[in-house]
Amino acid sequence: MASPVAERAVVDLERTRRQVLSHPLARGLAYDETREFLAAVPLRRFPHAAYAQRAALPYIQPRGGVPTFEAQHRLTRQLSAAGADFLPLTIDSYTRHNEYETATQLLRRSEDEGRDYLNGYPLVSHGHELTRELYVGVEKPISLRHGTPDARLLAEIALASGIAEIEGGGICYCLPYSEGFPLDRCLLYWQYVDRLCAIHSTPERPVHRESFGPLSATLVPPAIAIAVQVIEALLAAEQGVKSFAVSFGQTGSLIQDLATAKVLRGLTARCLSEFGFADVRSYLVYHQWMGQFPHARERAAALIAGSSLVAGVIGADKVVVKTVDEALGVPRPEVNAEAVDTVRYVLDIFSCAAPLGSPLVEREAELIESEARSILDAIFDLPGDVFWQSVFRAFQIGYLDVPFSPHADNANRLVSMRDANRSIRIADRGSVPISDVDARREQELLSASKAPAGKTYRQLLRDINMMAA
Amino acid sequence: MSDREHGRVVIGVIGDDIHVVGNRIMQLALEESGFQVFNLRTRNRPDHFSQAALETNAHAVFVSSLNGEGEHWCAGLRQKFVDVGLDRVLLYVGGNIVVGKRAKDEVTALFRGYGFDRVYHQEPDIGVAIADLLEDLQRGQSRR
Repeated sequence: MASPVAERAVVDLERTRRQVLSHPLARGLAYDETREFLAAVPLRRFPHAAYAQRAALPYIQPRGGVPTFEAQHRLTRQLSAAGADFLPLTIDSYTRHNEYETATQLLRRSEDEGRDYLNGYPLVSHGHELTRELYVGVEKPISLRHGTPDARLLAEIALASGIAEIEGGGICYCLPYSEGFPLDRCLLYWQYVDRLCAIHSTPERPVHRESFGPLSATLVPPAIAIAVQVIEALLAAEQGVKSFAVSFGQTGSLIQDLATAKVLRGLTARCLSEFGFADVRSYLVYHQWMGQFPHARERAAALIAGSSLVAGVIGADKVVVKTVDEALGVPRPEVNAEAVDTVRYVLDIFSCAAPLGSPLVEREAELIESEARSILDAIFDLPGDVFWQSVFRAFQIGYLDVPFSPHADNANRLVSMRDANRSIRIADRGSVPISDVDARREQELLSASKAPAGKTYRQLLRDINMMAA
Repeated sequence: MSDREHGRVVIGVIGDDIHVVGNRIMQLALEESGFQVFNLRTRNRPDHFSQAALETNAHAVFVSSLNGEGEHWCAGLRQKFVDVGLDRVLLYVGGNIVVGKRAKDEVTALFRGYGFDRVYHQEPDIGVAIADLLEDLQRGQSRR
């Protein structure tokens, strides 16, 4: 049995670190120099310090990454001027797959031809020395957004660049983003990143980690997302991370959003404290609709406004925003800046003093919490020398099963659909260890509201394209 | 190899694209419509499609691209099939197949020029492609 244990499972970085940093693109970065640099960047670069000053409204974070230094520099200033509270650094997909040579070649082409050949900022190709220049004078947290199974070198360079928020995790950056990257290896590599963040943390300046709760963003039952979030918080805490945000994506059901926020926030804090990590500060991040977006800009704007309202109502610490051009691909900087402004407007005019509740939300929260708890308890009881091995085992036997994950190790036995409230219901639990009572309850809620029968794929399409229709 | 009633279809996502949702639904939809599906899933090179079509003696190949890499990878795709003697296999492409906002007609013409029989740029209903496939197969275009 392997539940999380403080200070027992700490990975020994030094053995692998020399190898990671021997890469020529590490450009001689060294622990001491990074530490000194992080001690000298403005305190507000650290989410811990920023969150401490948050007033009533959630912080706003747009997305954004472009290939060249100059364009990223402009984008960063533009987003900051538009009122973004957290500034994104979104990494291109070649770098995410550790294909640094290709990323570097396409960066040169982008520079030469004045056209973007990468869908993000190739941080490893640019290196830490240049990237520090991106953020001179910036007194806001920079958030590294990527999707990298092996982010060891990337995280080293990010920290050395003065970036103090690293998104990702061994599950959330493997299952939705990779079809074949070995999950056990990914979990191990993320233990490295967690440990790296921990050793570069001080009590005043803890390097912040954030998990990515939307996962495949496609009909993921809240209990699964919550279990994964809690696990990643615990895995990070084991390595000594002291500042951590759990997150989830807009479910498509207002009731389920309210219930999910409540359970996610509560269960994360309780589990951290249960396993001896009461000193870890946890935060709640809400992602605006991560599924298929409407093509019509008016509808996209309406969806963004609606989900901004939800972010306020659930009392999120931060909301990650979408743009009206989401359905069309990578948005232009102006559109990104507009999105920040729109979200700020909605948050302002609909600000809400305390999270709303209702008996319907309470019942949903009870069900979700009971399911998430069953899944977590079953995983804590699995064999393994250390916790991450139990987590790996959980995927092998289908205790954790993420619908529409492209990953070969995902069980794909759980089937989920929407009920009449548009809440995501577990139609078939597969091997996920929720109780018989909860499984029956899911069935009842689904069948009570079942739409007229048709082909399964049409029902799934309707559920998936719900917002885009 | 057992033939489901309507024929054999190779499907997959091209390029370094791992958008799997449409791919999953596509498999389900084709199977529910009576096809035998060989799903190459995500991150495929052009060779993977022609090779799979050869190995399965496929009637049709559905290539999808969601991240816009389609334009880059699909330009020489028909030739890959010609190279292995599959000149007449039906080639369909769909998804978000180019980067940025471009007129549907223009995109269709571009991919028709690459040798695709049918082009579904940002077509939300998979049923359309399935109906077309049934029609194309009935006309016997690719029955070998």
